[in-house]
Amino acid sequence: MRLRGQKSITFRLTLLFASASTVVLLLLGFLIGRSVEEHFEEQDMEVLSGKLELARHALEKVHSKKDLDSLPQQLDDSLIGHHALEVLVVGPDGRTLFATGGADFPQALLDRQILGVSTHPTVWKSKQGTLFRGLVARTRTGIDGVPPAVVAVATDISHHQHFMSSFRTTLWSVVILAALATGVLGWAAVRRGLAPLQAIKREAAGITAHRLNARLPTDSIPTELADLAETLNEMLARLEGSFRRLSDFSSDLAHELRTPVSNLLTQTQVTLSKVRTADDYRDILASNVEEFERLSRMIADMLFLAKSENDLIIPNREPVDLALEVEGLLEYHGVLAEEKHITLECSGSGIVWGDRLMIRRAISNLLSNAVRHTPDGGRVTVRMDDSDQRVAKLAVENTGDTIPAEHMGRLFDRFYRVDTSRQYLGEGAGLGLAITRSIARAHDGEILGRSDHGITAFELILPFGPPKSGVVAHSCRK
Amino acid sequence: MKILLVEDERKTGEYVKQGLVEAGFVVDLALDGIDGLHLGETGDYDLAILDVMLPKLDGWQVLAGIRRVKRELPVLFLTARDQVADRVKGFEQGADDYLVKPFAFAELLARVRSLLRRGSRSKEPERMQVADLELDLLRRRVTRGGHRIDLTAKEFALLELLLRRQGEVLPRSLIASQVWDMNFDSDTNVIEVAVRRLRAKMDDGFEPKLIRTVRGMGYVLEMPGCD
Repeated sequence: MRLRGQKSITFRLTLLFASASTVVLLLLGFLIGRSVEEHFEEQDMEVLSGKLELARHALEKVHSKKDLDSLPQQLDDSLIGHHALEVLVVGPDGRTLFATGGADFPQALLDRQILGVSTHPTVWKSKQGTLFRGLVARTRTGIDGVPPAVVAVATDISHHQHFMSSFRTTLWSVVILAALATGVLGWAAVRRGLAPLQAIKREAAGITAHRLNARLPTDSIPTELADLAETLNEMLARLEGSFRRLSDFSSDLAHELRTPVSNLLTQTQVTLSKVRTADDYRDILASNVEEFERLSRMIADMLFLAKSENDLIIPNREPVDLALEVEGLLEYHGVLAEEKHITLECSGSGIVWGDRLMIRRAISNLLSNAVRHTPDGGRVTVRMDDSDQRVAKLAVENTGDTIPAEHMGRLFDRFYRVDTSRQYLGEGAGLGLAITRSIARAHDGEILGRSDHGITAFELILPFGPPKSGVVAHSCRK
Repeated sequence: MKILLVEDERKTGEYVKQGLVEAGFVVDLALDGIDGLHLGETGDYDLAILDVMLPKLDGWQVLAGIRRVKRELPVLFLTARDQVADRVKGFEQGADDYLVKPFAFAELLARVRSLLRRGSRSKEPERMQVADLELDLLRRRVTRGGHRIDLTAKEFALLELLLRRQGEVLPRSLIASQVWDMNFDSDTNVIEVAVRRLRAKMDDGFEPKLIRTVRGMGYVLEMPGCD
């Protein structure tokens, strides 16, 4: 047997239509057959009980033996004209008083000890093969002290049977034909009803990697399918997003790697073009190492971003005291800040539930950016805020040029730099903020940036630590 | 000191081997897990460096096999995967340290020396000395040529690290990690500035100059001329 899922919808619906209509038609046919038969039976009963009454009446009028002998004549007269009717009268002494031709009344019927008229007719077949329906009754005669006589009447019902059998044949043929017709009509209706599916299929067949922006039409198809089409469209949107990120990723990577690799290549080839001193070679190799380190760091960062975009960065959660980490990081970045006479400050406290190494990295990226972009004599401030019940906020602010609003939103894109001409001067390859954001998001947090009136601030919003973490937040002082 | 190196990528293996040999170690290189395990079980090594992804037997299986015979052998893992789960697995199975590829050779060398020292660490010294530079580790005081030198806590930690690992080239990333707990890529020009300042305090105006920059590698503290 084939699995249900493999059969076509058209086939299944057609089968369902056909069987449903067959069941209904069969039921209808059965009911019609029954009522016609009941009608015939009622008709027969009317005739039979009338005749039985007649015979009983005649018998009741019998008061002597003499009357009994004239009974057949009397009955014969009253039954004239009913050729299909058979009557049997058995006298009180067991003698047959009156009998018409062919009906062989079964002995069982005659032996019934019923006084009055039986309401249940009996059907039997005579020796000639004719079907009879008959009634029997015991009737007292007018002669005192004599047992009752038996009166039996029967009527030939074979013509009813003939009618019923031809009626049934017609009925069943009609039922079968109707079932077939509903099957065919159902098939046609289903085909028409499912036509929108074909349309969706044609539409979907046209969607390729180059046309991922195409969507299935949702307004021109029936409501039942609109849901499905919308779900498919959402899936397409997700796929398109992933696909675009993937292709952006490869093109960014290729673009960013091309320049340093070609620099390395040229430098090395020029060096090899003539014999140089050992010191020269050492210098070139050392410079190559620096460039390779930068490249390797960039690749590692890109991999981190690629993983985070595919939700593969799973933070190792523990309570992290932000003030403690910030103090440690300020000591590190303070070395550079001091060179530029930048004041570092921090205030507030907060505990977050997250990966200590990742959170340190995120904060360190913000501090590194801040120190790099603060002019000499400026100020970098870290403010922590744990007044909210659900999140802890950490903002890194620095003085310096205001970043134009059109750059602000794109700062978190990888490789985005406000000043494109300076891309190889700093340490950063333009990945720091992108990484910080991906770390924030991996923690179900977010990062926001703003820049106005000579202050640029980036604020990390991270989920708050659980209340029972047992870690007491300490306040940042510097 | 004899080191077993199991690395399936021939070029990487050869270069690491060359680097270690030039640093004064005796190195056996195996190119797959089965050879590596065989050497590890039978050879007399002071340290094993295992790649995680190996043909025939992976690094974990080689580690388990070696551990059955040699409980104490320090093992350093090289892994291209930097997933936390892998690290945890490595430490659970008894790896002593790991390094994520691609790594700086100086970093590998520093870790190898550190692992080898771990086994033979004697009593913590109270003071350390090189040339006329003296470190009093208990009182956290530094003198050079009898002159007291004032260092910040981090400068002291940096000098202590350089002195403890005298003669070893310490990469910037290792210094950042050991002194500032920066266990991820960060601005390493911080290290340059910090070393420059340390030099200004303990090398400028004194002879000989003890801290030397090895371009492209890192920094080393040593007596000049003992190269």
